[in-house]
Amino acid sequence: MGFLWTGTWILVLVLHSTPIQAFPKPGGNQDKSLHNRELSAERPLNEQIAEAEADKIKKAYPPESKPGDSNYSFVDNLNLLKAITEKEKIEKERQSVRSSSFDNKLNVEDVDSTKNRKLIDDYDSTKSGLDHKFQDDPDGLHQLDGTPLTAEDIVHKIATRIYEENDRGVFDKIVSKLLNLGLITENQAHTLEDEVAEALQKLISEEANNYEEELNKSTSRTENQAGKIPEKVTPMAAIQDGFTNGENDETVSNTLTLTNGLERRTKTYGEDDFEELQYFPNFYALLKSIDSEKEAKEKETLITIMKTLIDFVKMMVKYGTISPEEGVSYLENLDETIALQTKNKLEKNATDNKSKLFPVPSEKSHEETDSTKEEAAKMEKEYGALKDSTKDDKSNPGGKTDEPKGKTEAYLEAIRKNIEWLKKHDKKGNKEDYDLSKMRDFINQQADAYVEKGILDKEEADAIKRIYSSL
Amino acid sequence: MAGRGGSALLALCVALAACGWLLGADAQEPGAPAAGMRRRRRLQQEDGISFEYHRYPELREALVSVWLQCTAISRIYTVGRSFEGRELLVIELSDNPGVHEPGEPEFKYIGNMHGNEAVGRELLIFLAQYLCNEYQKGNETIVNLIHNTRIHIMPSLNPDGFEKAASQPGELKDWFVGRSNAQGIDLNRNFPDLDRIVYLNEKEGGPNNHLLKNLKKIVDQNTKLAPETKAVIHWIMDIPFVLSANLHGGDLVANYPYDETRSGSAHEYSSCPDDAIFQSVARAYSSFNPAMSDPNRPPCRKNDDDSSFVDGTTNGGAWYSVPGGMQDFNYLSSNCFEITVELSCEKFPPEETLKSYWEDNKNSLISYLEQIHRGVKGFVRDLQGNPIANATISVEGIDHDITSAKDGDYWRLLVPGNYKLTASAPGYLAITKKVAVPYSPAVGVDFELESFSERKEEEKEELMEWWKMMSETLNF
Repeated sequence: MGFLWTGTWILVLVLHSTPIQAFPKPGGNQDKSLHNRELSAERPLNEQIAEAEADKIKKAYPPESKPGDSNYSFVDNLNLLKAITEKEKIEKERQSVRSSSFDNKLNVEDVDSTKNRKLIDDYDSTKSGLDHKFQDDPDGLHQLDGTPLTAEDIVHKIATRIYEENDRGVFDKIVSKLLNLGLITENQAHTLEDEVAEALQKLISEEANNYEEELNKSTSRTENQAGKIPEKVTPMAAIQDGFTNGENDETVSNTLTLTNGLERRTKTYGEDDFEELQYFPNFYALLKSIDSEKEAKEKETLITIMKTLIDFVKMMVKYGTISPEEGVSYLENLDETIALQTKNKLEKNATDNKSKLFPVPSEKSHEETDSTKEEAAKMEKEYGALKDSTKDDKSNPGGKTDEPKGKTEAYLEAIRKNIEWLKKHDKKGNKEDYDLSKMRDFINQQADAYVEKGILDKEEADAIKRIYSSL
Repeated sequence: MAGRGGSALLALCVALAACGWLLGADAQEPGAPAAGMRRRRRLQQEDGISFEYHRYPELREALVSVWLQCTAISRIYTVGRSFEGRELLVIELSDNPGVHEPGEPEFKYIGNMHGNEAVGRELLIFLAQYLCNEYQKGNETIVNLIHNTRIHIMPSLNPDGFEKAASQPGELKDWFVGRSNAQGIDLNRNFPDLDRIVYLNEKEGGPNNHLLKNLKKIVDQNTKLAPETKAVIHWIMDIPFVLSANLHGGDLVANYPYDETRSGSAHEYSSCPDDAIFQSVARAYSSFNPAMSDPNRPPCRKNDDDSSFVDGTTNGGAWYSVPGGMQDFNYLSSNCFEITVELSCEKFPPEETLKSYWEDNKNSLISYLEQIHRGVKGFVRDLQGNPIANATISVEGIDHDITSAKDGDYWRLLVPGNYKLTASAPGYLAITKKVAVPYSPAVGVDFELESFSERKEEEKEELMEWWKMMSETLNF
């Protein structure tokens, strides 16, 4: 293939060595100076001609073109050749040097070399070997001492590593490297992820058991959201727990950065998991009321506790220790207990946090021990103020109190989409922050103008300004 | 399938993380599951388009949502107030909202002029949201449209009438309640009747365009005009619209000028000078609406006479004579070409049918939008490159001239063919150019006009030259 192309180009060059004079263009003078200037460097000129002829050749030789090779410049062909040969090299390498290269690659990812050793020493060889997961690897992997390293071991290695370093990024680095080298396929990457998640789970569950005893609580509720929650799971969430007693601050920042490769999975979670939290209104409200900066540790501890407990209840239900109904009532009690306990322990902030998120409903300080009904009633009162100034109040079909909630939601949704699109669109400019403040000013200005013209209510405009200022 | 409690834990943890990721992203309300359900119901169907009837507050909210989502390409404004004080809201979509870019044609959709003809109002709300969504998704057709056109959408010209119609109890709405504005004026009979003037001019000679003289007297001081009508007339005079459609209900057809019969009879094909292009653009709407263009469709009511309908289109006068309508007013007072689209046999159909009306019409609405990029367009300037506003562009064989806008830009919709275009302006020498017009896109033709005084100067110079030459030759 490469030879054919090279031959073609030579032909092309020979046949078209004087195109520039033969086809005068209006900007002919320019071309000439360019031509003269570049004659000293042969290659660029050839490339130019080659590129110019690319289309002709493409038309002349359609059956030979692969779908991916639509750019027929000379340089691209060279690169293609290089890529092919490299790939072959890699294939060969893989066969012979698999074990050591694999380990090396794992280790290369580390910044801290001492941890390398730990990883290697830490593998668990007590597990019975399962079927080899990477089926297209005939040689298998090898431990340092020469015995084969099963997939299980690899998985466990990775899981332990992630657990210790508390960094989901470890996994992604490894997987993306493997994918790039063609050592595993996407499917295998997914499988690997599952396996790692499993392994992590086991690690975490052990910790969870310890926690259980400490806290002296045995009530939790089962969330049988199994139907909603997708089966494949990212290990990211697991890492988020600062399980080892109070190590929390770094976790949040690490885990909040969602990585590319498997981002789509976490996206679906965003919506589903919120469903779960609906059943813990007090807990959620409590979380919100904590000022992240001042009481990060408290917050993390709370999150950890909650997660542990919920997980434990789920496992109990799953394994039949308790019935689902019992699990549900455990968790319901849990929510209330939390509300009480934290009311005693924590200060109540002025809920700046809460008002940022929910601009319209609460101007007042949040009292987290409110039952959900009280909260809803409060919000309705607030919304009642957002009246439309025109006539025909009675004719609202949905009823006054429902509408404003929907309206603010709709506005929030719309603003979110706008910001998303702006971020995507401004990526090249790399001036995200700058544009956001510019946008904020613009929105403020427009909102005021709209109020004057009667297009927006004052309250709506204020709400919109507030939403933007909280971004 | 790896079902384990662990999955749930991890999922929950992700949830908490997601919730912790407060700012700017998925900020959602806590508490009552009711709120969540409400949210789901509102954002039913696709992409923020809720297929339900929008009363005035919801209409406003829907437009504001579109604006909030697409602040870069949209702007809301009002052309005035209805009799009962509701704003006549317009949402404008363009890559530079609020600004007329020289050479960029302006388009408008107006709905719900008859308050009880509700489908148009809803379709336009859906359309605004749709254009915004598709733009952000990178839909090439929509992106190009928004970059090259300035699209104005007025979902309701008669919000008062709509409220009256919508307030009726029960499913079946009356054929007439809510049709007229709050004063009882039928807005589509309320415009100054320019048809009669043009018919007179046809017979006895006179201008064939821009027949509304003395705006102040005929419009501002006219007590018979509804505030909605006045607002629209000012809107038409302010913005150099090129193409427009006026959405109605009660039948299923795309109707084009003239609406009023020449002889005054009840039915008579009354073609306007631009009959050819009107038929073409009307067809561009109807052909994408399966019900409208269905040749075997039975008439909406058993005794209806739809003999004038061809391919889902009809000449206004051939169907039935309408004096004082907005459609003809556009054509005869400005450069804007407008058709009337009847969208539904039932004027105020049940809410559940709105989604299917949207499906039937969305391609038509886009197709009709694209018709604006046809014919000939360009600039009329003087020899120094300054724009000449209000220059006349006439087409040989078509007895209807258009004028250039403030930046000297003009857009002349034409069906494919060979034409001779002449640009002229007072104090300038006219120039004629030959143009071959394809179906689309519009051909660019610019004119550089020489003023009389410039020509005089030229001639004077020529004379001086000649004199010089003569004197040198003859030696004096």
